[in-house]
Amino acid sequence: MSLLDLFLGALLLLTGFLAVRLKNAVHAALALAANFILVGVVYMLLEARFLGWIQIIVYAGAIMVLFVFVIMLLYAAQAEVGADPLPGLKPLAAAVGVVGFLALTYAFAGAKAPLAAKAASAALAGGTAEALGPLIWQTWLYAVLLVAALLLVATVAAVTILRPGEGGGR
Amino acid sequence: MIWALFVTAVKALVLILALLFAFAYITWIMRRGLARFQIRLGPNRVGPFGLLQPIADAVKAIFKEDITVARADRFLYWLAPFLAFTFALAAFAVIPVGPDGWVVANIDMGVLYVFAVSELAIYGVFLAGWASGSKYPLMGGLRSIAALVGYELALGMAILPVVLMAGTLNLQEIVEWQKQHGYFIIYQFPAFLVYFIASLAEMSRTPFDFAEAEQELVAGFHTEYSSMKFVAFYIAELLHWIVGSALIATLFLGGWDAPFGLPEIPVLWLFVKWALFIFLVLWIWASWFRTRYDQMIRFAWGVLLPVATVWFLITAYYVVKGGMA
Repeated sequence: MSLLDLFLGALLLLTGFLAVRLKNAVHAALALAANFILVGVVYMLLEARFLGWIQIIVYAGAIMVLFVFVIMLLYAAQAEVGADPLPGLKPLAAAVGVVGFLALTYAFAGAKAPLAAKAASAALAGGTAEALGPLIWQTWLYAVLLVAALLLVATVAAVTILRPGEGGGR
Repeated sequence: MIWALFVTAVKALVLILALLFAFAYITWIMRRGLARFQIRLGPNRVGPFGLLQPIADAVKAIFKEDITVARADRFLYWLAPFLAFTFALAAFAVIPVGPDGWVVANIDMGVLYVFAVSELAIYGVFLAGWASGSKYPLMGGLRSIAALVGYELALGMAILPVVLMAGTLNLQEIVEWQKQHGYFIIYQFPAFLVYFIASLAEMSRTPFDFAEAEQELVAGFHTEYSSMKFVAFYIAELLHWIVGSALIATLFLGGWDAPFGLPEIPVLWLFVKWALFIFLVLWIWASWFRTRYDQMIRFAWGVLLPVATVWFLITAYYVVKGGMA
């Protein structure tokens, strides 16, 4: 663990915290975008370079831009203040948070790296597209197709639900 | 290690200075060129042929009052021009201008880098639109995000066949492939058309410059900016034009490779091809209309994306059948 890793970890925690705590939705979204970019940087430092670029393009680029588009379109930047719409939720959320933290700590304490860091870097072969391609399109093709089908179903469902006219939607 | 870092830093510095110089004279070419198309003279008073006009403009911009509007989100209002400027400059880093060492960063996934940077560049536009706290910038920002989402997809789909055929994501290797086998504009003409149209939208140049349509939106996302902050946006915008043209020349026209067996001179041939596209964009700018906003979104999703996808599948079939090997 180098100084750079620690610095990136601290920045990740900070941006994550800001994404949750900032009152203005646009500021929070930006903090989240910074968080995604930092995750991409961490991937690249771990020799998973293709994954790092994809993380930045897909998450910080495409997904956050859509997020921000919706926030701007709906003028939803300012959080609603006043009566809490779901009163009982805060203690429950705190409890779930504590349980999650304990579970993660337990898992972290008991975890053993499947490969030593050096061997892992070698196995990733620099994490280039050439190294990753056969894994996605040969070894794990079935899983990739399953995910693709799932996403297609979700898209069709979203379009169907929001179709204007007959029943629901606008 | 230190030496390599130093060399890269010097290269980056040279590139930045070259780009800023190119920007200054692009404004001159743009104004004189547009004037020619419209049978006017254009700026011709400051220096011979108006060549010192960019310097006069810069001095004027620096001494203008820097206004922050009352309803602005101060931090983001300040941050937006920096982001726009930085990402616009960064994109050129992976474009090779000559063989071997003639590139700032010869990274193995150059195409992905270009994509990441051009997607992040939209944050500047959107933040400017939102942080100004005014309706015209907001509409301009919304329009450019909606356009980006459609046209980035078409752009990506049009690069894929090129990557597939060359078998690499490295821009230097893509150029070398073209040097050996011939330019991609021949093999990949449909992809080239889609890419060119989509990059007009990326650069927000004429048929697609609705994000700052002055008749509807004053100046779009940078309406509320003045002085050097405005200049930062202006530079960023013209840099997209500069970098976009260089990228098309690299991907489809062989980049730094000398055509017709002419002598190999670094920088020169990329510059010639780049100038070709700069002029083409200016030509379209001077002679075409602006599409309506909804029409261009429909065009992106309904025409460009399907065409690019079908062409991608054809190329994939060809490559799998062992076409180019």
